[in-house]
Amino acid sequence: MDTLVAQLQRQFRDYTISLYHQGFLDDQFTELKKLQDECSPDFVAEVVSLFFEDCEKLIGNMARALDQTGNVDFNLVGSSVHQLKGSSSSVGAKRVKGLCVTFKECCDSQNFEGCVRCLQQVDIEYKSLKAKLQDLFSLEQQIVQAGGRIPQVDI
Amino acid sequence: MTVEQDFEAVDQFPVGMRVLAVDDDQTCLRILETLLHRCQYHVTTTDSAQTALELLRENKNKFDLVISDVDMPDMDGFKLLELVGLEMDLPVIMLSAHSDPKYVMKGVKHGACDYLLKPVRIEELKNIWQHVVRKSKFKKMKSIVTNSESDQNGVKANRKRKDQYEEVEGEDEEERGNENDDPTAQKKPRVLWTRELHNKFLAAVDHLGVEKAQPKKILELMNVDKLTRENVASHLQKFRSALKKITNEANQQANMAAIDSHIMQMSSLNALGGFHHQQQIPQFQGGVATMRHYPLGRLMFPHVSSSLPRNHNDGGYILQGMPIPPLDDLHNNNNNKAFPSFSSQQSSLMVAPNNQLVLQQSSYPSLNPGLSPHFEINKRLEDWPNALLPANTPQSDVISNMNTTNQTSFCRNMDFGSSNAAQADFSDPSQMRQGTVNNLSLFMGQQKVENGSMPSDAGSLDDIVNSMMPKVQSQTEFFEGDLGFGWHNSSLRTCI
Repeated sequence: MDTLVAQLQRQFRDYTISLYHQGFLDDQFTELKKLQDECSPDFVAEVVSLFFEDCEKLIGNMARALDQTGNVDFNLVGSSVHQLKGSSSSVGAKRVKGLCVTFKECCDSQNFEGCVRCLQQVDIEYKSLKAKLQDLFSLEQQIVQAGGRIPQVDI
Repeated sequence: MTVEQDFEAVDQFPVGMRVLAVDDDQTCLRILETLLHRCQYHVTTTDSAQTALELLRENKNKFDLVISDVDMPDMDGFKLLELVGLEMDLPVIMLSAHSDPKYVMKGVKHGACDYLLKPVRIEELKNIWQHVVRKSKFKKMKSIVTNSESDQNGVKANRKRKDQYEEVEGEDEEERGNENDDPTAQKKPRVLWTRELHNKFLAAVDHLGVEKAQPKKILELMNVDKLTRENVASHLQKFRSALKKITNEANQQANMAAIDSHIMQMSSLNALGGFHHQQQIPQFQGGVATMRHYPLGRLMFPHVSSSLPRNHNDGGYILQGMPIPPLDDLHNNNNNKAFPSFSSQQSSLMVAPNNQLVLQQSSYPSLNPGLSPHFEINKRLEDWPNALLPANTPQSDVISNMNTTNQTSFCRNMDFGSSNAAQADFSDPSQMRQGTVNNLSLFMGQQKVENGSMPSDAGSLDDIVNSMMPKVQSQTEFFEGDLGFGWHNSSLRTCI
């Protein structure tokens, strides 16, 4: 008999695997999950929400810097990218991190067009990841509410 | 102590280790905090380097270790690293998303115990407690070996004290438990630079020329079994560094001695009525007198031949070639923070037959005018070895040093200054410039002031000496030994 819990759990498992396979998440996300336990049951959710806050802030900084037409401070943009790279790698946001590498190169070579493009992509990417993780968390909540345990997914 | 017991001791220590984590990125900071908690450390976090420094300064014993990000807006992580190392002497681990080796190098050079790349793994954090143990072990070694010398620059001395650590290893039974995990407890045989060995080294270096000597060639010339190029290379490095330091100090002391000898010359000639400044500056006398006892330059060269005559006013200025000071002198680590290189200056300060005081300066290695003089005069009776190197213009060094010296103790200068004017007339036959005389007085005044606050080098001098020399000889030997050795010790210390 396929209970609601079992269904939800299966959904959860499949969704998680797809996120990894599509390159949204990497090993570091797995590590974060390992750190989550009874003492800090919402650890992962807390960290990723901090991450998305950081994204918003940094992208805002970069957008403002790139907006100064004719007087773009590429160093400022570069250091924001660097920070974004650090935090995205720490949470396992693989695609965002990958974009940061390209973005950094554009900053270093003061490629304005390239920077603008990268910024747009980073913006899209983090928002997309945010939506997906929110779906994942809501699945978790449903499982718990249905009385089940969140399954351990081995990638 | 059984192995099991050792492991127990090891297991307990890291638990509760107090870590201060600094990162302006809140995501990373949160993750780091959780990881550290998972390792059972006690964690304090801050997103500002400034706050971190305040926390550390508030209570130096509050933390065992600092982990800090490199790129922070309010302060460069490397700067924080330096400050923590200098002020608190805590192990600092750098964190960064930069994997570029040049950043890693920068971290290491600024004193980082370790450099971790983001994203940080828990496995890496599980090992960081080793840095705390290592550092505290070094501190212990240092206090055992240093004979109550205060080491103000603990970080540098600690880090460079690997040799010493190994040497004193046997004395510290308590720490044995951690040794298996401690990479510094490597069991490679330590080279003891005995007198004979050091003499061979000096001979080889002399033969090749200090500037040109290469470890490989030195090794060949020394022809000693089981001595490796690395042993020689590190010994040479210490040697050169010490030499540099000494030379600088020697310049200053040389000037002081020049004044002294000049004064003595003057007084003996009864040239000026105003030579009461000798009374006015009694300390100066003492200072110079003690400086006489510096054998200079000997430590470097096996044969030192003097080209200048003895100072007939001799209270001890003997310009004569002396053999390399015996190695046991190197064991002198008491009060011996002085500058043997001074003696190398002596020759230049000596009065030539035509009564010309030649103020010359050893041009040995690159003189660093920026070095602020800090030295204690060795009070032993020693002969002045002769300067082995051609003279240079020392004045600028002294003068630039003067600029950096403390002005508060210059009251004596006034006296001196006035007599300088008098002396200036007299010093026509001598090549000493009035400026030099003034500088010297300034210098001497400053020296007195500085006696109370030895720079960190002082402590490290001892450490280097102790690390380099076998601790076979007793303390007393130091005092009897040739200052050159003491100097050598000092120099060795400074270069580590």
